Formats: sequence, structure tokens, C-alpha cells
Amino acid sequence: MVTSARSTSSAQTRDARPARSTDVRRRSVRRRTRWIGLAFAALPLALYALVVLVPLGQSIQYSFYKWDGVSASTWVGFQNYVTFLTDPVLRSTFGHVLVLIGFFALLPIVLGLLSAALLTRAKQPGMAVYRWIFFLPQVMTTVVIALVFKRIYAPDGPLNGALRAVGLGSLARTWLGDFTWALPALGLVGTWVTFGFCMVLFISGTSAISPELYEAARIDGAGPVREFFTVTLPGLRGQMAVALTLTITAALRTFDLVWITTHGGPGTSTLTPAVALYKAAFQNPQVGLAAAIGVVMAALCLVIAVIITRVSERD
Amino acid sequence: MKVHKAVIAAALALGLAACSPGSGSAAKNDAPTTVSTDVAKAGNVTLNLTDFWGAAEGEWIKQVITDFEKKYPNVKIERKTEDWGQLNSTLNLQLQDAGGPDIATANNGWQSLGTLAKGGLVLNLDAYAKAYGWDKSVPTTIARQNQFTTDFKTMGSGSWFATPMARTSLIGLYYNADKLKALGIDPPTNLADLEADAAKAKAAGQIPFEYGSQDGSTTVLLGVQALLADKTKLNNYIYGDSSVKATDVAMTDAVTLTKKWADEGYFPPHFNGIDYQTAVADFVGGKGVFRWEYTGSLGLNAQQQGHFGYLQLPQQSGSGTVGVGAAPGALVVSAKSKHPDVAAAFLNYLMSPQAGQAAVDRGLVPAMSPDVQVPPASLSLTGESAGAATLDKNDGYVPYFDWSSPTMLDTLGQNLQLLYAGKTTADKFTAAVDKDRDTFLAGQS
Repeated sequence: MVTSARSTSSAQTRDARPARSTDVRRRSVRRRTRWIGLAFAALPLALYALVVLVPLGQSIQYSFYKWDGVSASTWVGFQNYVTFLTDPVLRSTFGHVLVLIGFFALLPIVLGLLSAALLTRAKQPGMAVYRWIFFLPQVMTTVVIALVFKRIYAPDGPLNGALRAVGLGSLARTWLGDFTWALPALGLVGTWVTFGFCMVLFISGTSAISPELYEAARIDGAGPVREFFTVTLPGLRGQMAVALTLTITAALRTFDLVWITTHGGPGTSTLTPAVALYKAAFQNPQVGLAAAIGVVMAALCLVIAVIITRVSERD
Repeated sequence: MKVHKAVIAAALALGLAACSPGSGSAAKNDAPTTVSTDVAKAGNVTLNLTDFWGAAEGEWIKQVITDFEKKYPNVKIERKTEDWGQLNSTLNLQLQDAGGPDIATANNGWQSLGTLAKGGLVLNLDAYAKAYGWDKSVPTTIARQNQFTTDFKTMGSGSWFATPMARTSLIGLYYNADKLKALGIDPPTNLADLEADAAKAKAAGQIPFEYGSQDGSTTVLLGVQALLADKTKLNNYIYGDSSVKATDVAMTDAVTLTKKWADEGYFPPHFNGIDYQTAVADFVGGKGVFRWEYTGSLGLNAQQQGHFGYLQLPQQSGSGTVGVGAAPGALVVSAKSKHPDVAAAFLNYLMSPQAGQAAVDRGLVPAMSPDVQVPPASLSLTGESAGAATLDKNDGYVPYFDWSSPTMLDTLGQNLQLLYAGKTTADKFTAAVDKDRDTFLAGQS
């Protein structure tokens, strides 16, 4: 194996050299190794095809039908997609997701950068404990988090209790029953969850930045702010891309948090595409519409991931 | 590479062209023609039953199975239970499996029962209805809940695809008996009384109606609507008669009254942040004087049953009693069952007075069993049984309003939240209800 791999790599590096006699042999070696590689990957690939690609294909197929999940279906072309994009309630879910992206992705990344910058400037005692505390929400199940925050936001819950205790009783409200506040309230839960993750990611990223760069910046007379923008921020580009991709797709997929706390209410003010999808697929027999929602969201996730990767890798 | 692309394209084309989703299930809606009601002659039979009943309901079905097996020693019923949501979302798959259940509990309405019947997964029970005389023994307003026309465009008429049971689940008014006594008022006997009592309770510093709207609870609205609406029209509206509009079934009036109660402070403070479970727990824990609720949902223990009463108020017009009610589950026979005769006999037994008595013995609300013996210590069960008996006698059932379309429950809940927040009016509410149902009906035909 080792020799064959080496010969392939050397073959690749000298590919341009015209040597007809050995060319055929090399190509066959290369082809053979490629087939061996494929043979090793065959089982996982088949499994992947079975559990991911086939259902994906099926979802795309379903999305062109009006189907109740049981009886015969009717071909409706792009009607389900049109419904998703034009129905006022379904379309409003995009707006809600944009708000959630602000809370799930942008806010935690800003806070994460800030705290990483503060925490890495000087070694503090008990750093690991801080990190552990802030990272904790990331390892908790969303269901547990949702139930905890449902209690916190309750009319006589700890949040309103705290507000009243400090004389801000006029600010106390039914957070999750309020048309204006329900969505931001849920968004802040997302901030709480993803903030620790972003922070840990950025701290580890900062520690990988060469200390000489900081030294050079300081010699050039840069203050902490200048140092952050010229050294830390560019050095964290890769970590930012990871954080953005993961948190934005998390925002797009928001389901359990909304389902457990508000079911999309009050009215439809916290309805997300994932909740609408679930309702269409499992509560109302509109499998085609559910599939269309799923396909659009999957495509959106893919596009966002590609854009972020492209931008972050550009020099 | 060219070859690869061609192969992929061909595979995709094949996959897409092979079959449209759902085309595999053959529609088989013909009622069996020769049926037998003689279970003893059927030989040794084992039936599989899948239901969603736990707790007292689970005890009830176990008792009924034991009694049935005692009556017919040649029959054995293997019971499997799944939680409600799980069973509802997988029943269509289970019924397509040859090893699936012979009998199962489905949910009424288009979402579940209608879809299963349309897909040919459950048996048309007309022949059994005739053989056992269900058309005569079951109140029409209950029978309709299990019927669909065989073109599957209409619910509420046509063939039997499921049966009810000697149990029912109603929406009615619960009251805290101790609080009424302390306030010095008798249980109300009509809607006007109730409003006067609510005002008194409010004046005395009590919460008249324990309620929370965070998850869009609709019991107040539907309970009130049954007191105001015309029974036949309301039934027809829900069963998809498009000539009846929501204004004809007192939707606007019910919405207006509900909003009035909210505005007068008859609901708890911050009720828009209280969810269903919390409201139930608060009421049982002693908050609030009245509560509109489904029977069996308060989870009262034997001791608590003596302290909470139940009322099925008569209609405001004085023309008898109408209430929202249905059997807690629609029993279907799988089209794949090898012993439909025995399965139908079991369904018939589930509607018998014996099954009704078994229900009362476990604190469940009986139906179609006028002579049941209710333990006198249970105030709530006495009220619930009396309510069901009155509705049986008046043939006064209306189905749950959300059967009118798969999205209706969401529409009602969302619009109630908008209403309480002052973001919609009673007229707009009613228009939204009509729009939801009519959109669904348009998609059906």
C-alpha cells in the first residue's frame, strides 16, 4: 500500500513529462488505486446513498405532488413551491428566521469575539471554569433548554420576578405570549446557547495565532483595539466561517425550541419554516408542501454554506 | 464521465417515472357482502389491537378485552399501546403491513380516519352496521362522525368506516364546588346564570374562568358556540356543507362573547402567557371558579372528584342541549384483517352497556349506556354521565370544530391569540374560519 501510494503521488507530480512507455503503466496504477479507494468507500457510500440521497430524491419528488401521505397523489408541478413563497403566513416564516439569524449567529459571534479578545489578553485564574460554564448550553438538549426558558419567561417566572424585585415591574410581561416580544425572547435563548460555542471556538483560534504577530503589532504602537482588528480578527477568519455556518443553519432549522415553548404563536409570530414543515407533514396531510419547504430550506442551507466558504477562503 | 452522467440521469428518470407517491396502495372500499355475527363459530382467532389508551382508559380496555374473551373463549385479543401522537403519525404505515393490527384507534376527521378510508386501508363497515343494527342504536349525531361517502368528498354521511364506543369525550363547564359554596351561588343552569355568577365571582376577587391561551386553547370558544349555534347547521358546517357559513353557526357571537369575558377580566391575569397544562394544574389546585374543558382532561383523583362538578348547559334558545362531543377515538378494522367478522363483533361489544359500566367503574364518562350506576361520591362523574345521557337523549352532539379542515385547530388558536391582543375582530375571525374551511373544501373536490 505504501509503495503504491508513493508511486501515485510521484506519478502525479511528474505528470507533465512525456514518457509514453511508462505512461500506460502509470495510468493503470492510478486507476487501480482509485478503484481500490472506491471499493473501500463503497459500503459507507452505499449507506449514505440509502439514508441520505434516496430520501433526498424522494423529498424532491414528493414536492411536485399534492399528496396526503396515503392515497393516490396528483402532480401539481411547482405549486407547492409557489404556495410556500406566496402564502402570507408561510412567507412570514422567512422574516422570523432572519430575526433568529441575528440572535443565533450575529449576536453570539460579536459577543464571542469580544469575550475571546478580553479573555486571551491576559491569563486569568479559573479560565477553564468560565469556558466550561459558557459552553454548557451547547451540550444540553434543546428540549431541556426550552423547558427551562419556558419557566423563566412565565408570567410569574424568575425573569418577571427579578424585574419586579428591582422596581422594574412595568417591564414585566408575558414574554412568550406577547406578539412583539415572543420572537426576540426565543432568539435570546439561541444567543445563550450558541454564544459559548463561538467563544470557545475563537479562544482556541486566537491561541493558534503566532505571538510574534502580536509582538510586532505592539512594537508598531498598536493599542488593544487596533491589535484586535489587525491581528486577531484576520487570524480568526476560518473559525468565523465555521461559527457562521453552524449557527446560521441552526437558526434556519429552529424547531424544537419553538415547538416546545410557543407552537409558533402567539398568532403566527414565532412560526419558523421547520415548524411549518412539521405541521404540514405530520398534522395536516400535506406531504407535498412539507417536502417543498424541506427542499427550499436544504437548498438555502447549502447556498449559505457555499457562500461563507467561498468568502472566507478568498485572499 | 459521459457514461456516468447518462447512468445517473437514467436512474433519476426511472425513479421519478416509476410511480407517483401513494399510487402503490390499492383502493379497496367495497363493503364485505357476506358477514357473520356468530363469533363462537369462527374457530380459534387471535386479533391484534393497537390503541392509544393509557391510565384509566388502558385499565378500561383491558377489562373489556377480558370480558369479551370470557364471553367468547375461542377469541384472543393481543393488545399493543402507543402514545397518541406516535400512533397517529404511523397508523397509515402499520395498516399497510400484513402483520399490522386488525383493530386500531384512529383519530376522527380528515387528518386521520378520512385519509385511511380514502386510501383503502380500513374496512367499510356498512354490512356490520346493518347486521348489528348500529343505525338504530347509535345516536345519529355520533354515527355521522364515523361516516364518509365512498367518493371521499364528504364526511358525515355515507358508509361507516369506524365505530364509536360506550364512552365519550365532551366539552363542558367544570366548576369548583367549594368555591361556589363559599360565594353562596348555586351551579348555573343556563348561560345567563353563568354570566351573572362570573360577575359575582369577579366582584368577590376570584378568577371566574381559569384559562390560558399561550398554546391557543379553544375550549372556551367551542363550549360557548355549542350553546349558541343551531345543532343541524353546526354539524353540516363541520361536515363540509359549503352553503352553511361560519356566521350561521354562531361563530361571530361565540367569538364576541369570549372576547367580552377576556376584556372584563374573567380570565386570569396574563392568561396569554399561561399554557394549557399550567391552566389545568391551576384549576385543579384551586384557582378559578369555572373552567371549560374536555371531560377526562383534568385528571381528577377520586378525592378531587367530590369537589369539582360538571355541567352540560342547555342552549341559550332553550331548544334542548347541544354539546361538543365524540368518542375518544374511532375504532377501525384493517382492510388486511383476516377475521373482520370477529373484529366487528368486538367493536360492537365496545358499544355495549357492559363496556359503558366498565368505563364508569374506572371514572370514565360513559355513553349509550343510560342505566349505568355512577358512584355517588363522584360529583364530577355524576355530572359528566348526566351530561352524556342528556346529549344521547337529545341526539345533541356536535363534533369538534377542527374536523372541518386539517388546519382549523391552528386557525382557531392563532386567531384567538390575535383576538385577545386586539389584532383582529370577531368578523375578521369568522371570515378567517370560513376561508380556512372553504380553501380545504376546494382542494378536496
